[in-house]
Amino acid sequence: MTIRVEHMTRQYLPTSLRALIIASGFWVLSLSLTVLAGSVAAVAGCLFACYLVDLKIHRAPLRHLRTSSIIGFCLLLAIVAYLLGNAIAGSSTLAALLSPITAFNLSEATQWMLVCTAIVIGLRTLAHRTSYGAVVEILFVATAFIVTLAAHRNGMIHRPFFIGDFALIRGIDPATILMAFGCGAVLALSALLMMESNQKRLPYHFAILGLLCLSLVGYVRLFGLPTPAMTDDLGLTGQEQAGNSRQNENPFRDGENTAEDKEAPVAVVVFRDDYEPLNGSYYFRESAYSQFNGVMLDYTTREDMDRDLIEQFTNTEIQAEVLPGAEDQRKPVRTTIGLLVAHRNPFGLVSPVSYQNTANPNNLRFKRAYDTYSLAPEYDFEYLLGRELGRSEWSEEVLQEYLQLPDDPRYGELARSLISNLRPQYADDPYAKAWAIKSYLDENGIYSLKNEHAYETDPAASFLFGDLTGYCMHFAFAATYMYRSIGIPARVGIGYSVPASNRAGGSALLIQAVHGHAWPEIYLRDIGWVIVDPAPQQTLVDMTTDPQNELQQLLGDMLRDDASFEDFLDSQQSGLISLQDVLNTLYALIALAIAVGYLVKWYRIVIPEIATDSEQYRLSYRRMLDSLAAVGISRRYGEARESFAHRVEQNVPSLQIATRAHLASSLGKEQAQSLTPQQWAELRKAVNQEVNRSTVPWLRILAAINPYSWITSR
Amino acid sequence: MTSESLAETATENIVESEAVSQPDKSELARAIDLLNKLKTVVCRQVLGRDDVIELAIIALMADGHVLLEDFPGSGKTTLAKALGEAIVSNDSEDSNPDILPFRRIQFTPDLLPSDVTGVPVFDSASNAFHFRHGPLFAHVVLADEINRTSPKVQAAMLEAMGEKQVTVDNVTYPLDELFFVIATQNPLDLVGTYPLPTPQLDRFLFKISMEHIDRQSELDVLDTYKQRRDRSLELGTVSRDEILQARAIIDREVTISPLIKETLVDISRSLREDDRVLQGNSTRSMVLMLPALQVAAALGGRDFVSAEDIELLLPRVLGHRIELAPGVTDMERVLADNMRDAMERLARSTLG
Repeated sequence: MTIRVEHMTRQYLPTSLRALIIASGFWVLSLSLTVLAGSVAAVAGCLFACYLVDLKIHRAPLRHLRTSSIIGFCLLLAIVAYLLGNAIAGSSTLAALLSPITAFNLSEATQWMLVCTAIVIGLRTLAHRTSYGAVVEILFVATAFIVTLAAHRNGMIHRPFFIGDFALIRGIDPATILMAFGCGAVLALSALLMMESNQKRLPYHFAILGLLCLSLVGYVRLFGLPTPAMTDDLGLTGQEQAGNSRQNENPFRDGENTAEDKEAPVAVVVFRDDYEPLNGSYYFRESAYSQFNGVMLDYTTREDMDRDLIEQFTNTEIQAEVLPGAEDQRKPVRTTIGLLVAHRNPFGLVSPVSYQNTANPNNLRFKRAYDTYSLAPEYDFEYLLGRELGRSEWSEEVLQEYLQLPDDPRYGELARSLISNLRPQYADDPYAKAWAIKSYLDENGIYSLKNEHAYETDPAASFLFGDLTGYCMHFAFAATYMYRSIGIPARVGIGYSVPASNRAGGSALLIQAVHGHAWPEIYLRDIGWVIVDPAPQQTLVDMTTDPQNELQQLLGDMLRDDASFEDFLDSQQSGLISLQDVLNTLYALIALAIAVGYLVKWYRIVIPEIATDSEQYRLSYRRMLDSLAAVGISRRYGEARESFAHRVEQNVPSLQIATRAHLASSLGKEQAQSLTPQQWAELRKAVNQEVNRSTVPWLRILAAINPYSWITSR
Repeated sequence: MTSESLAETATENIVESEAVSQPDKSELARAIDLLNKLKTVVCRQVLGRDDVIELAIIALMADGHVLLEDFPGSGKTTLAKALGEAIVSNDSEDSNPDILPFRRIQFTPDLLPSDVTGVPVFDSASNAFHFRHGPLFAHVVLADEINRTSPKVQAAMLEAMGEKQVTVDNVTYPLDELFFVIATQNPLDLVGTYPLPTPQLDRFLFKISMEHIDRQSELDVLDTYKQRRDRSLELGTVSRDEILQARAIIDREVTISPLIKETLVDISRSLREDDRVLQGNSTRSMVLMLPALQVAAALGGRDFVSAEDIELLLPRVLGHRIELAPGVTDMERVLADNMRDAMERLARSTLG
């Protein structure tokens, strides 16, 4: 009974360990590719497959299947899983039955679970049945970590949060930690492989492998990971193109209804003055689509339009050419903005009037940091009523540009029908008209990142006169067109809109990719551009994201100034040993250990040359033993020296003479020196030559670089 | 210069330097030659038993006795006879004419002590008792099936082995200085035997269990038994005095390092503490072992005792002196386990 239990634990322990390692590889790999449900399913599928194969491979029916059949089955399973997942996601019945988000999660989970199961069954079967299979497995786990690292090469590893935040708070690159995990996983897997396949490996081979992996971490610490150029990213952040090109892309996209991928921090804003927006959201304007180019609204090409916008970063302070009006109803707010992702234009709290570059407090973290000065609106609803339209300085041409819209009568018809319901006292009020149009969109629009308008000639028309399902870009364009159709100068503002609650009482505000936004603005005389933003009441997307208060506070403190950031770090670290210190100590210890190893090695090589004659028998003999131990030949515990010499006689015949002489001097008559120093030197040379002749070159190289080659010499 | 030739020059240099630095070496070398000659002579008569012969010679030179555990017809007598015949008494003054080279005693239950030691007989011519020497008065005595005789005969025999003398009727008769007993017992056929108790086994330096010889040796035995029988006298001999002299030389010239003695004591202590051992070996066993180690070293061509000698002799010396706890049977393993630490310490100590 005991034997049986022992046998079972012996089997279960490596299986579980291996399953865990492979599952962690899948988990890391899936993080950046799927939703949480998908990751969990991947891990579950992987564990299941590991246990299935490890415990059943030697039993029927798996035993009777050929390897090629099993691999074929795995391929088939993967294909079926892919198709099944797509079918679930595409099925309208399921979406209606479960809600689209659940259906989507279900499809991801199914897909990942089955695909992972298929891959792991294939890998484990190969590992059991072929000699190269285990290597494929190790390569796979290594690749999973490398791919994840490569995908996050710009250092913004925001997931998993518990690693990312942990590392960021301590000022370490999360990539290092992830890489250490990867190295650990690969090492553990190699260890399992060596133990199970009964291969004769010396412990120090393994130690050297570990040392190499550790040195990789050290390398990253010293030189960092290569950072690729910025590429096209989230379509909503207003930073879709690299560089300064103003060439526009279609701003309308079709997306998935998930906010999962959009939690990435984009920028952090530190408020120098207190300000609470009245409508519950902070708007940060980056740019605007204002000129109709015949197809849709685009950045203006005219010098005399949008003069309140600032088009690019400069190194000096830059003022907006035109300031908004109603200064008594606006609060001057100074903010500092740190960009975590490169942007083309500076953006600032509405309405920004000046920008000034500031020193970047942390080059590793921020792409750029700048101060903005904004005149933030504090006017209420009534203040906006009864205003006139347009700016008095505008030429007729400019006003016409702000009134251009697609040649589609339906905009005007719809807009007029909407404002016809206004109460008589507001019938001619521009703001009231705009509000009526906004209310219509609020009540009837459905917010969805997934939409069917992306490839229409006029997506706004397709949206407005179609299913009214779209995202901010659709709402903004549709509203702008309708405002323009009834003679209200309007444009689409682009930037970020962050819920005021995200600030959570602090002075820092984290802007995440999900906050990217576009909104319609109208121009009221003496006030400026006023945001009239439709807020659809129905949504298919869960846009709530984790506000990440810790990260917000951290980045804010980092941006504010270094001193308080240090304080923050200290407050976080009080009571626990700094990981950085531990790591540094560890590195120092390793370096010291290597240095000591080489020193001792060198000493043991050199000392016979300068030792006295009476010590030759001891030191020279020790050096011969060292050169043997370095290539893995050493005396067994308790073995007599003569027996050892006899054992290696085939390869190293000279050792027998040396052993005899050594023992004669150490056990024989006092002061008896059986060999002269010259003879000892000759013997040393002979033993060296014989060792070199009987070993393979790579072993000799290993022996030469191994600082502790002498440790098994005894 | 290849390493082989290097090795050769080194060897030559060793021999040369030893010869130069140690003038006494030639004496030891002569003793070693004598050992080798004895070995060659016996080996020519007894085929395929080189290890046993070597041990027997070691016991002979170390003034000990050997107990062979063996089956009938395995060459025990041939071995003892060959050894006895290789030793001739020379006509020196102190040699006793009553002492012969070789005697064999077949032990039976009805044997009496006087049958072994000798007995005073009345000589009517001189009207006095006259001691008639028993078979113990020889250089080499083969005590066959020693466990078949009664304890009192065993006691007489063992007294002779321990004291090198026999006492009959309160008169003590010294045995020859070169008195060497090869006793045998059959380990399987135990009916009607008086097994030797452990203290008596302690008198034997070695207990050797013999294995069957290999195929080729067995064939050689069949092929050459006639020639070997016929020319047994043509082989060389060594004299008793030469052996005694060699014994003295080896005792004087072969060094036993304090490290070796420490190792022996450590192994004994470790054995006594082992749970698997009921009774450990005596201190006497180690004292007896020292000369044996010296002879083994000399046979190996060395003038110092080394770990190799301990590895060779320790199991043979301690194997019959240790009582294992009930249920433990693997003596070799117990010994190996207890030797390992001490042997490792010995090996390490030479590197300083």
